[in-house]
Amino acid sequence: MNANVQQRVIKVISEILNRKESEIRLDASIRDDLQASSLDQMTLYVALEDEFQRTMPPEEVTELATVKDIVDFIDRKLQETPLT
Amino acid sequence: MNRRVVITGAGVVSSLGIGVDEFWSQCLKGKSAVAGVPENWPYYAELHSRLWAPLPDIDPESLGVARAERLQLDPVTMLALGAAREAIGRAGFALASAGERSRNFILSGADSTRTGVFFGTGLGGAISFLQNHTHHLLRKPRAALVAYADRHGASEDRAALNGIIAQMTHGTRFNPFEVSMVMPNAPSAAIGIKYNLTGPNQTYCVACASGTVAVGNAFRAIRDGRVDVAISGGCEYFADEHGHIFRSFDVSGTLVRDYADPQTANRPFDEKRSGFLLSQGGAAALVLEELEHAQHRGATIMAELIGFAETFDAHSMMSLASGGRQIERMIHAALADADMSPGDIDYINAHGTGTRNNDETEAQVIDRVFGKSVRVNSTKSLLGHTIGASGAFETLVTALTLRDGMTHICKNLDIPLLDLNFVRNTDRFNPQVGLSQSFAFGGHNAAVVLRRFS
Repeated sequence: MNANVQQRVIKVISEILNRKESEIRLDASIRDDLQASSLDQMTLYVALEDEFQRTMPPEEVTELATVKDIVDFIDRKLQETPLT
Repeated sequence: MNRRVVITGAGVVSSLGIGVDEFWSQCLKGKSAVAGVPENWPYYAELHSRLWAPLPDIDPESLGVARAERLQLDPVTMLALGAAREAIGRAGFALASAGERSRNFILSGADSTRTGVFFGTGLGGAISFLQNHTHHLLRKPRAALVAYADRHGASEDRAALNGIIAQMTHGTRFNPFEVSMVMPNAPSAAIGIKYNLTGPNQTYCVACASGTVAVGNAFRAIRDGRVDVAISGGCEYFADEHGHIFRSFDVSGTLVRDYADPQTANRPFDEKRSGFLLSQGGAAALVLEELEHAQHRGATIMAELIGFAETFDAHSMMSLASGGRQIERMIHAALADADMSPGDIDYINAHGTGTRNNDETEAQVIDRVFGKSVRVNSTKSLLGHTIGASGAFETLVTALTLRDGMTHICKNLDIPLLDLNFVRNTDRFNPQVGLSQSFAFGGHNAAVVLRRFS
């Protein structure tokens, strides 16, 4: 796992959900542990798009349940050719 | 007895600066912001006008807008939030956090149920619509064209294709928040949410009169006892990526044509005027407050609002009715509402766009109703035309003029189309009552009357 990506994902989650970075564990469930509403999650994915400049289509992110799922997903996205 | 209404706070985001102090200082120096339109716009259309009044670079964080908010707000709403934040701060309301995980606030010193938002805008979040539509329309064809070029492009053809592809720009996403970004009520809603204001929350879409109508209705809501405090004003933003909105004004023949010297192209009330200078946008916010409420808080009062009226031309979507009879009727109604007569008015902030028809009609009406003694200027001669925000800016300039006993020049006025008392210098005078008026596409006319507070 890319430590830099992990750090940036946690920072974005912290910023969007207004939580301390220390509260955001890798195995934390976005919905249950971090209590992100569907609207929060939509904002989070838009913010992650902004942070990493990669598109995150809704149909691809619905499966992402934990912080680690998101980090892995972004990691994969960064390996792909960027969409412009 | 009617309740009295005063202005206790103001905020500005404009091409002449961010913040009331900077804006007013630039106005009094006769500064204007004029520049060429973005370089890529003429690729998409043959523009007759290539000048506008750009905003300075603005960091949304400086307007109090965090990234989580920026990503789901149109720029017009961010400008409104920035102006409202300054206005509320200047009014002296202390802010408490709305909650541990909230970016919003609660105003202390005001009953939120009796605090309303009355904001105007012409096109609301139109650029978010355009940006998302461009993405919707171009993403797949552009990707297909790139793939085609990769497969088939010989060197010369490839260069030509690259040139076409380069112009098919469309942003990186179709924003899932598009609906709430585009809707014209987003700015007033965002202000209400940000400050937990649960009184009436209204949006006025009356083109160039939006700001004046918003302030006027806020004034009435306080005077009539429906609210004690109102956040009011106007906002606009026109910088879409491809110059579509600029073109729509340009193609209708309303924009400045004389750009041999860009600095003198914008010249309201001058014989050589050729149209208005479109502004990239801006926002002006005013905190209006019932007098005793303001005094009880110890607020600093900028000026008093004493009258408002509106009429409708019922004539044309794009042009004032010649003769200006409905404008004249509006002025008399506003004066009656303020219990004033024409002779009481010391200063008029004119609509003063710089179009042939507007300025001629407006000057004739001013001459008929007020004669040649009242001082007249056009804030648009400095700021350009901010459309739905303009009435709010001009109400603010009227309030500052009454407060300070001085006002800005009517810029680039060499040969006045009529012999009126246009403001030529910033010499002090002693204005007691001022009127600010706006006329809009569609045929809407509105005016507010203000009095010096002492």
